[in-house]
Amino acid sequence: MRYLIQHETILTYPNPVREHHLELRLTPRQDANQRLISHRIELEPSAERHSYRDYFGNAVDYFCLIAPQDSLTTRLTAEVETLQANPFDFVALEHPQQKEWYAKELRQTPALYDYLLHRSSLTPAVMKLAAAVSCALPRHEPERPILESLVELMAWVPQILRYESGSTAVHNDLLEALKQGGGVCQDFAHLFISVVRSWQLPCRYVMGYMDSGIYPEGEPIATHAWAEVLIPGGGWIGFDPVHNLLANDRYIPVAVGRDSYDAAPQRGSFKGDTAGTLPQVNLTISNQ
Amino acid sequence: MPPLSSPASSGPKTSYHEFYADDFSPRDHYRLLWDHIRATGNNALETKDHESQLALQTEGVTFTVYGESEEGIERIWPFDLIPRIITAAEWVRIESGLKQRVKALNLFLEDLYGEQKIIKDGVIPPELIYQGKDFRREIVGIVPPRGIYTHISGIDIIRDEQGDFLILEDNLRTPSGVSYMIENRVIERRILPEFFNKYRVRRVEHYPSLLLDALRCLSPRGKGTAEIVLLTPGIYNSAYFEHTFLAKEMGIELAEGRDMVVVNDIVYLKTTKGLKRVDVIYRRIDDDYLDPLIFRSDSSLGIAGVINAWRAGNVAIVNAPGSGIADDKAVYPYVPDIIRYYLGQQPILKNVPTYQMTNVTDREYVFDNMERMVVKAVSESGGYGMLMGPSSTAASRKEFMDLVTENPRNYIAQPVVYLSRHICYMDGELEARHLDLRPFVIYGEDIQVVPGGLTRVALRKGSLVVNSSQGGGSKDTWVLAE
Repeated sequence: MRYLIQHETILTYPNPVREHHLELRLTPRQDANQRLISHRIELEPSAERHSYRDYFGNAVDYFCLIAPQDSLTTRLTAEVETLQANPFDFVALEHPQQKEWYAKELRQTPALYDYLLHRSSLTPAVMKLAAAVSCALPRHEPERPILESLVELMAWVPQILRYESGSTAVHNDLLEALKQGGGVCQDFAHLFISVVRSWQLPCRYVMGYMDSGIYPEGEPIATHAWAEVLIPGGGWIGFDPVHNLLANDRYIPVAVGRDSYDAAPQRGSFKGDTAGTLPQVNLTISNQ
Repeated sequence: MPPLSSPASSGPKTSYHEFYADDFSPRDHYRLLWDHIRATGNNALETKDHESQLALQTEGVTFTVYGESEEGIERIWPFDLIPRIITAAEWVRIESGLKQRVKALNLFLEDLYGEQKIIKDGVIPPELIYQGKDFRREIVGIVPPRGIYTHISGIDIIRDEQGDFLILEDNLRTPSGVSYMIENRVIERRILPEFFNKYRVRRVEHYPSLLLDALRCLSPRGKGTAEIVLLTPGIYNSAYFEHTFLAKEMGIELAEGRDMVVVNDIVYLKTTKGLKRVDVIYRRIDDDYLDPLIFRSDSSLGIAGVINAWRAGNVAIVNAPGSGIADDKAVYPYVPDIIRYYLGQQPILKNVPTYQMTNVTDREYVFDNMERMVVKAVSESGGYGMLMGPSSTAASRKEFMDLVTENPRNYIAQPVVYLSRHICYMDGELEARHLDLRPFVIYGEDIQVVPGGLTRVALRKGSLVVNSSQGGGSKDTWVLAE
């Protein structure tokens, strides 16, 4: 599938801010399942663009605006082609080989331990999770095909969390969301990730876009979040617990990390008071 | 790991006496000093002690203690006038051991933030690194000039009951104390010039010029154009005295984060004449606070964008970000293996035996023997976050057991080592007190250990805690020339 993404974020400050440093993780990722045809990132007011690839493999663009500004607009225009029509299109290794496969992957790439060991208020330890959820947590028996357990878990998440449609509130704490029984896509992904990590499987957070057709009627189009699990034989496979779908070519991954903090599309530091500033987001994702 | 020593074998221990030999006669290298003290008598010592206190006061040599109030309390630096003497032969061993250790630790850091061969080869457990608070994944792939991370190390050495030198802690982040090493020497020279006539004492006062030279070498614009800034968290920091001292001695700017700005990957100092480019930042703030864009976003002490400027190679940061993982106390037990792995040599200076709290057998053994243990939080320093078993209460032991159980990666334990003793002039009497030694190592063109260091003294009788924040004092440290 081919998509054109136009993503504009406008920040208007009640009082001018200065020495604004900004990091953007907005460039759709490029791999075997996704081709980036073109992309452009613009800033208003304009600033010199610098880039690097971060530890998680994300393309980062950064800018600085030293003089006082009373507004800031970031604008992404990207064309991508997604190629993974059928995410089930792989042969998973059987149970006895799985263990060896994980051991080998982890030995070759110790950085994967981050996706196994990371615990934070966003992705809490299983003990804290179990205490916050009224029912038993789903389990994964090693003899069972991994995909079966994961699909079951994906369906379980929406039974625990109610999707708060259109809510812009982002929880900084998964347990808080669980207490309220509701959350946004970040919370769904974090809950899924936390359980998968308790099964000793590497799991990471994905921030990205998806086909506007997946959004329910009346739902504002916004960036989306899901999770990816490293599966023997399949590589990183995406799971979207909000829509109970495996990520296919209607999903456009942008940035990954241990949790939403690592993969935040925009991170900044500035001097000045921005209390009460709410970003205005204009996002269109058109299927070409 | 099996228990390091069984309770039965750890009977009462006598600490090593630096000054007296077993027959209570002064050791050879103290004999001249002792004869002089005896010849001049106690009255002379009292006068000298008084002079030294006055000198410290007029010089304004202070440190800050936290805990009693929010902002900390400034105190006059406690100084004992009887010097601690290290023989040339002892120093050879210390010096070579420290050079070996610092070299290996820098290779370790370069590897951790690069290929991670030591993990792939199974020498270091990956969990140890990936669960370490001070492993800075944000800087993976950045190689600092010549692979040097710890340009300045302050390594704590103790002497065990047999008189062997052991490494107690590696301080590789922002080690402090060097200004006191120099001030102690300045005071000692002034009030006891006659002592210096009797010994050939090696100099320590050139430390600032050694450091300045090492900092200059790091300038991306070349040694000749090196604008160097000492980045301080400000006047409320416990080491603020040292920050001003070193900036003055080296003739470099002392600045806070808000005095600097990064524009397109170049760091500038804001001056009355406009922006001035900065080449080298000697930072005395922790990684967490260094760059709000990359690390803690609520930090107002750092410089936003400085890590990206560092990645771009436009500024040097001393010590390099990420160095803290190498002095993490849970990594410490692996340092002998790290030395063997990178250098193919046996460690010259040994570690203190250490129990890993992530190991269930070790943990149970420590819990059963808490009164004989020192329990330490892995990323704390200055004697904070520590339990001294012998002087602990049942309640504090219980509190630490709960803390360890909650987060075992965050703690280690060591059997109490009875630090060596030395005579000190305490209120008109010569009394024995426990002490340690923090020599300073500079890694510039090559690795240099300043012949001396900060000898810290536990001023309370019987106490084994030497940290100045916990009521410790200090002595001038003499390393003798051949």
